Amino acid sequence: MIKGRKEAVLGLIMVSPAFLLLLIIVVLPIVQTFVVSLHSEDGGYDLSRYAFLFTDRLMRMNIVFTLKVTVISSLLVLLVSYAMALFMSFSSGKLVDLIRKTYMIPLFIPGVIATYGLINLLGNHGWLSRMLLPLGIALPRLIFDEKGIVIANLWFNIPFTTMLLTSALAGIPASVIESAKDIGAGRLSVFLRVIFPLSYKTFLVALTFVFMSVIGSFTAPYLLGPNSPQMLGVSMQQVFGIFREQEQAAAMAVFTFLLCSVLGYFYIRSMAKDEAARM
Amino acid sequence: MSIQLSIRGMAKRYKTGEGVSDINLDVRKGELITLLGPSGCGKTTVLRSIGGFLKPDAGDILIEDRSVIALPPEKRPTSMVFQSYNLWPHMSVYDNLAFGLQIRKKPKAEIRESIADVLRLVRLPGAEKKSPAQLSGGQQQRVALARSLLLKPAVLLLDEPFSALDAKLRHEMREELREIQSQTGLTMVFVTHDQEEALSLSDRIVVMNHGRIEQIAAPQNIYNEPESLYVAQFIGKMNFLEGVVEADVIRVGELAVPNAKRLAGPAAVVAVRPEDVNLDSGIKEGLPGAVKQIMVLGHYAEVSVNLGKHGIIRSFQSKDAAQALSLGQHVRVSFAKVTSFPKE
Ligand SMILES: Nc1ncnc2c1ncn2[C@@H]1O[C@H](COP(=O)(O)OP(=O)(O)O)[C@@H](O)[C@H]1O
Ligand SMILES: [Mg+2]
Repeated sequence: MIKGRKEAVLGLIMVSPAFLLLLIIVVLPIVQTFVVSLHSEDGGYDLSRYAFLFTDRLMRMNIVFTLKVTVISSLLVLLVSYAMALFMSFSSGKLVDLIRKTYMIPLFIPGVIATYGLINLLGNHGWLSRMLLPLGIALPRLIFDEKGIVIANLWFNIPFTTMLLTSALAGIPASVIESAKDIGAGRLSVFLRVIFPLSYKTFLVALTFVFMSVIGSFTAPYLLGPNSPQMLGVSMQQVFGIFREQEQAAAMAVFTFLLCSVLGYFYIRSMAKDEAARM
Repeated sequence: MSIQLSIRGMAKRYKTGEGVSDINLDVRKGELITLLGPSGCGKTTVLRSIGGFLKPDAGDILIEDRSVIALPPEKRPTSMVFQSYNLWPHMSVYDNLAFGLQIRKKPKAEIRESIADVLRLVRLPGAEKKSPAQLSGGQQQRVALARSLLLKPAVLLLDEPFSALDAKLRHEMREELREIQSQTGLTMVFVTHDQEEALSLSDRIVVMNHGRIEQIAAPQNIYNEPESLYVAQFIGKMNFLEGVVEADVIRVGELAVPNAKRLAGPAAVVAVRPEDVNLDSGIKEGLPGAVKQIMVLGHYAEVSVNLGKHGIIRSFQSKDAAQALSLGQHVRVSFAKVTSFPKE
């Protein structure tokens, strides 16, 4: 009994630094930001800053634009990463070796440098358009456009997502795939009935990661996005730094946080469901 | 009886240099044949080649007279029961069993019915809704067996399916498998390193050693007429004595046994089963020896006799005969039946 209590106290002491850290760098700022966002223009407290997010035409466009870029980017990243992870896990050959050795490279290039690289490659008079010119192919507008942001998001998110999914696929024993082939399942059936169900949890984790990283991204949309509409991160910086409307920026931050929370909620719920199913 | 499975001149060499070679085997329809040999002798390699999980370097594999060598596992009319069960952990028992039938586009009602039937056959009636994690090892292996049975494969492959189970369960499963085989008439290739399992289960046994087939024969023939010294050593208990070839006989000390295989000599190995070793105290013929140890093992006893320079020989005696003997007693040893092999 006494020993139990002692252990409990020790446990609390041991987790408290982590808990404190979480409190100071996550919970407090959120609460603080939320309080700031409730300040109205006439010095009182109300939800007018939030109302503005949905009534102002430009703001609404920014939100829609952000969601659109985030959803498209997340889907493309997941699609490409999953395909690459599958290819690396279940095929072999020179190409697989090459991909395995190189796919992490983007992780080691600083974001600003990579973004300028993309501008040089894909811009109006960039490398790609110059190379395609003799062939009579004209590129659509990529830089200072949503396509540019999506491409940058692919560059930044595919390596880590692929790594995550590859390790999930590595955790599927070859034997359960063999037994699926044994009963006559072709590639598609093996994938849909065995591989995907056994890796979808990580798929969900990856989706959550990519969604959050894209929706809160700043560098790439700032450097190569259009002037309007803007991603929320860029717009937030503008409202905060240029228009000096700290309260409005706070409301946007809280709104972005809520968007992420929705995904977090679904993620946690599905984890809890699996946990319950295993009981 | 028609030949259901035919392996012709198959060879497979891994990068490490290990593998199998010169595998020739015909399995009749409805036969249960066992690949028997110590761990690492190449049993799994042969079985996985039949199932299509391994591509042999040479040779051909025919099922119902059609070569399947170019087909991937999912296109072969075979099904495998793996040592580690390999059920799909995220599917219920029902889904595990239904998967193969759904791929074959069977109607739902038929699927449900045949699953209920096969679960009765493997003595797990009503287990449809369970998940693999809720089942014991033996139950999981029954489900894995059911999964293969449902597909009515032309050849059912079993790779040490019961070796992870405890001894009692292993015996039970063996009997059930034998029963299922007689009910379904399926052709089965069963891999094991357990000679007792092979002897009790098989129509014929393929004894393997170092990637090669040593002998193919019915269990009693493997036991009574081992074709090589290796098989004689591997199957059952056996005494080995050195002999000298003298034309029609092989001489072991004062005892002469017939040189049935016409071995050239000069030296030969004479093999005798303990149950074929007679002990007598009244007669003059036979090898002289002294009783060294008597171990009563239930209804029979194992008696060790010291034959001096011929070493120690073991003899199975009835309990009564053994009790009439005493330690150190002088006896004469003779053989009811011997097999001989050239000395290697
Ligand atoms: N994938 C492999 N790569 C290299 N060597 C292997 C491989 N699989 C099996 N072997 C070797 O081939 C031999 C036969 O193996 P296996 O067929 O599994 O034997 P068994 O099933 O009789 O125990 C063994 O020596 C084993 O080490
Ligand atoms: Mg094996």
